[in-house]
Amino acid sequence: MTPETENQPNNDMELVARTQGGDPTAFDELVVKYSPRLYGLVYHMTSNHEDTNDLLQDIFSKAYRSIANFRGNSSFYTWMHSIAVNMTINFLKKRNRRQHPSLNDPDSRIENDPDFIAATSNGDPTKEVGIHELQKKLNTAMMKLSHDHRMAVTMFDIQGIPHAEIAKILKVSEGTVRSRLFYAHRQLQNSLHEFKKN
Amino acid sequence: MSHEPMHRIIRLKRYEQPREGYFDDFLMEFHKRQRAELLRPSIGELLMDRIHAILSEIRVPAMAYAGAAAVAVVASVVILHQPGTTGQPRAYAASYSQPPVTVPSMQPVSLRVEPPTSDRFDSLFPPSYLLRPRAANHESPLSF
Repeated sequence: MTPETENQPNNDMELVARTQGGDPTAFDELVVKYSPRLYGLVYHMTSNHEDTNDLLQDIFSKAYRSIANFRGNSSFYTWMHSIAVNMTINFLKKRNRRQHPSLNDPDSRIENDPDFIAATSNGDPTKEVGIHELQKKLNTAMMKLSHDHRMAVTMFDIQGIPHAEIAKILKVSEGTVRSRLFYAHRQLQNSLHEFKKN
Repeated sequence: MSHEPMHRIIRLKRYEQPREGYFDDFLMEFHKRQRAELLRPSIGELLMDRIHAILSEIRVPAMAYAGAAAVAVVASVVILHQPGTTGQPRAYAASYSQPPVTVPSMQPVSLRVEPPTSDRFDSLFPPSYLLRPRAANHESPLSF
């Protein structure tokens, strides 16, 4: 568990207990806390802001309806992520081929990120790639991955969730998580071959 | 094979964020949806409403029962007063003009087995209880 993923679990349990006791403001606190990280999870899986917004609303509604049955066998963080993962995968299965990317503009801080500078200049200023071009290429490469592989990449590479926690959320072994990441990275390297030498 | 460069590039996607203030609005929208869900009838209520609507559409008017009863009474009266009916039951009994068949008196039957008297028959079938091989004979043994 990292501070990023499991901060204040006791506080979560207290909020859960208050919600179960009938205090709706306690669940509001959980929504405020978890909506940014769950937004990232759903957004990077769907590549569509509007779909993400609707799905995230449904995820919190489902969690609110089901919280009476939450017994604390896992952390609230894991439980909440499991609901989000299942509902997102179901949504993607229904959406199937209908894909209309609706991407958010990258934060302006990306321009100062050393990885971005390295990836876009490629040591040769004449081959400089713009932010939006890079974003488009990354998105295209991500959408070529299977749902399982994309989920592993989203949680590990983008959200920084450790292997052990991903394994708990997905209810698979850590070895499976590492295997999925290995194959996903290899596929991404093939799609983004112009960046792989950096 | 090191995937570190790919990891660093993919991580750049974390900069894709929704507009500022989105998450504040998200909570307000969540409250709105929750209120809407409370007002929205449940699936069970919707189902009951639908069943009531269907039943009301196919409901038989009260006068229809009285009409059906009247038709039944009229039909039964017409059937009972059909012309040609005398009220006497029809005779369907068969009449036999021939005298009844009589069975002649039965003679007693003896179960005693009479021994055969013919010598020829004896030569053909000597009394024996053993099966003996015999040459095939296509001539009927009973043709005397």
